[in-house]
Amino acid sequence: MAGIEELSPAVGPVDTRPPEGEIDEDEDEELDETFIERLWGLTEMFPDTLRSAAEVTVSSSVTMAKKLYSFSRAALWVGTTSFMILVLPVVFETERLQLEQQQLQQQRQILLGPNAGMSGGMPGMMPPAPVKM
Amino acid sequence: MGSVLAASSPPPPGSGVVQGAPGLVSVPPGFSMPSVPPPSVPGQPAGETGSPLSNPGTYEECHRKCKEVFPIQMEGVRLVINKGLSNHFQVSHTVTLSTLAESGYRFGATYVGTQQTGPAESFPVMVGDMDNTGSLNAQVIHQLTSAVRSKIAIQTQQHKFVNWQCDMEYRGDDFTSAVTLGNPDVLLSSGIIVAHYLQSISPALALGGELVYHRRPGEEGAVPSLMGRYTGNNYVATLTLGGAGAHATYYHRANDQLQLGVEFEGSMRTQETAVSFGYQLDLPKANLLFKGSVDSNWVVGAVLEKKLLPLPLSLGLGAFLNQKKNKFQCGFNVTVG
Repeated sequence: MAGIEELSPAVGPVDTRPPEGEIDEDEDEELDETFIERLWGLTEMFPDTLRSAAEVTVSSSVTMAKKLYSFSRAALWVGTTSFMILVLPVVFETERLQLEQQQLQQQRQILLGPNAGMSGGMPGMMPPAPVKM
Repeated sequence: MGSVLAASSPPPPGSGVVQGAPGLVSVPPGFSMPSVPPPSVPGQPAGETGSPLSNPGTYEECHRKCKEVFPIQMEGVRLVINKGLSNHFQVSHTVTLSTLAESGYRFGATYVGTQQTGPAESFPVMVGDMDNTGSLNAQVIHQLTSAVRSKIAIQTQQHKFVNWQCDMEYRGDDFTSAVTLGNPDVLLSSGIIVAHYLQSISPALALGGELVYHRRPGEEGAVPSLMGRYTGNNYVATLTLGGAGAHATYYHRANDQLQLGVEFEGSMRTQETAVSFGYQLDLPKANLLFKGSVDSNWVVGAVLEKKLLPLPLSLGLGAFLNQKKNKFQCGFNVTVG
């Protein structure tokens, strides 16, 4: 009896199935991905929780890096201008004072000999006083 | 004793208070001639018969020690020429050139009388100055009796009277009380009365109060405040609490070169608070006086004053920077004499 037909892939009419060569070409054209997309596709093998955790970590660290950068820019500017206004003039003046005192000391040394290198220079000053009185 | 109206909460009629500030503040307590900066007299020495408490000073002076540590904002160029014509009379010319405000010339004269009450104080003191636009600031301070001192101050803006006030202060053995009448106007029945009282509780602690009563046609109000001041051996802490807000200052003398001040101010009216920290560095060897301040409103400022010695010349440089709004202001002034 011609009732039951054997079902096998080879039985079906040949023209219902696309030819072998076409299958490969169509698949290649439809699934034409860039390299990055193919690499990204590999990550789909990880479980969802891991993927979302990684995404949150990366995005928050990028945001924090940006904020840190802009904060350090602002802090550097504020710190430099405040230092310039609050501290720098005093530093200049005290340095100048020190240099002047050093110069005076050196001059006194040259003038009155190495013994009068002290800041008071008193021994050299003694002789004129009795004459004035 | 600057303008009382600047300290009380209701806005004074007219806006000339700021202009008056240099004129009115320049002659507080000590008035010797010609160019000695007014020393703040803390009170008579406790040499009275058996009383361990000394006079606590005036009510306005309590916050002043800390305020003097802070730099003033300078803007534009200012040239001041002070000339002492005699032991009693001094004249000053001020030329101001500025970008934000009006440039002008101001002439000031100070007369100190012959009644001497102490080594650094003589009375009566008359101070006046007039602007090139005709605005006048004038003050007359006189010691009526050994304990009563009175002051009359007038400020005009061109021809219009902006401030006129009269005050009377009584200094007792261990207390000071003062009454000030500001802008009294009999026709409009308006004016401001301020009463101060400051009492020494112990050699270090002084407590006091202030009552401001203001009246305008249609409204009147009173604002009381309390004040306490504690003096340690190298610090002074003062607190004022009142209807207008809270004001606390702390002054500390670290060594003979460095003085620090911290000020906290909170206002009920504008619901704002501010904290400022200031320091003053005094290097007489380098003829240098440097004041710096940092504020909670992100304002950084400093003033440097240097005496250029062989000449009686003094140069002041000031810079103020508002970091938040990125606004900068600088100025310099030269004082001769």
